Amino acid sequence: MAQTDKDMLDDTALDAFFDAARSDIAAPSDALVSAILADAEAHQPQCGSHAGTAVDPGASRGFWADLVAAVGGWPSLAGMATATVAGVWIGFAAPIQLETMSGGLILTGDYTLADESYALEDLAPSYLGTSLLLEDEG
Amino acid sequence: MALDAYAEASDDALLVLYGNGDPMAAELLTRRLAPRVLGYGTRLLGGDRAEAEDVTQEAMLRLWKIAPDWRTGEAKVSTWLFRVVSNLCTDRLRKRRNVDIDAIEEPADDTPGAVDKMIQADRVAALQTALNALPERQRIAVTLRHIEGEANPEIAQIMDISIEAVESLTARGKKALATALAGQREELGYGTN
Repeated sequence: MAQTDKDMLDDTALDAFFDAARSDIAAPSDALVSAILADAEAHQPQCGSHAGTAVDPGASRGFWADLVAAVGGWPSLAGMATATVAGVWIGFAAPIQLETMSGGLILTGDYTLADESYALEDLAPSYLGTSLLLEDEG
Repeated sequence: MALDAYAEASDDALLVLYGNGDPMAAELLTRRLAPRVLGYGTRLLGGDRAEAEDVTQEAMLRLWKIAPDWRTGEAKVSTWLFRVVSNLCTDRLRKRRNVDIDAIEEPADDTPGAVDKMIQADRVAALQTALNALPERQRIAVTLRHIEGEANPEIAQIMDISIEAVESLTARGKKALATALAGQREELGYGTN
């Protein structure tokens, strides 16, 4: 604590050293600049082409890359995935909410009553396996 | 469309231009960044200018290579470069010495004196000597903060540590420098009070 004055420089004095270092600009030699620019030229992609080659641009793409490109790239794919999930969710979980939101236009009747609602296996008998079908027939 | 047309462009934009095949962008980026990289590398390497030139060329080469994949807005070009230079210098210092450079003791010279009359070159040299004696991570943090003028969040990115750790390193480094430089005043012939 008390050593600041005698044993250490204060901030102002120290800043003078930093200022001096900051103004001591290191100018790269011409040889260094030339070497850097030669590297830049050697590694620069050709204008207008990231691949830098003249071969068939589709040849290197795989099936999935083609598929993603066909639907409009990853953003489109994300939108499709969201729509799919929303569809599944509505299908499984929300007939009542859907009824509410649609103001009774889409669905009619009271779907809270057990005898008027359909079970999943009524709509998709194969969902729980074929044993249910066999039971009904027997 | 001379270089002037690019003068206002950010480093980020210039790197994208370079990646798109623009022939002017590399020259302007080199003019802007190479002196900073060289200065920073020289300080980290204890004033070894020749080795710092090698590091500068290597760091810029890595920049050219990453240009086609550069994602704008994710990091500043200078921050990315400082990180590369820090790593390159650290590797070279470790090869140069077989001792654990983090274990170097902080200088404890406490000779008082007057620094006001030091001329600039002496100050630069004295500061470099004091920086050389700092533990490596303190040297990196202090150099980035107080000489290169980087902000703490950028230094945290460069060094891959927390902002609190940056603050701690710079505070300890600065204190060690203040002590060492106070001690060097007599050695440099500026007398004492």
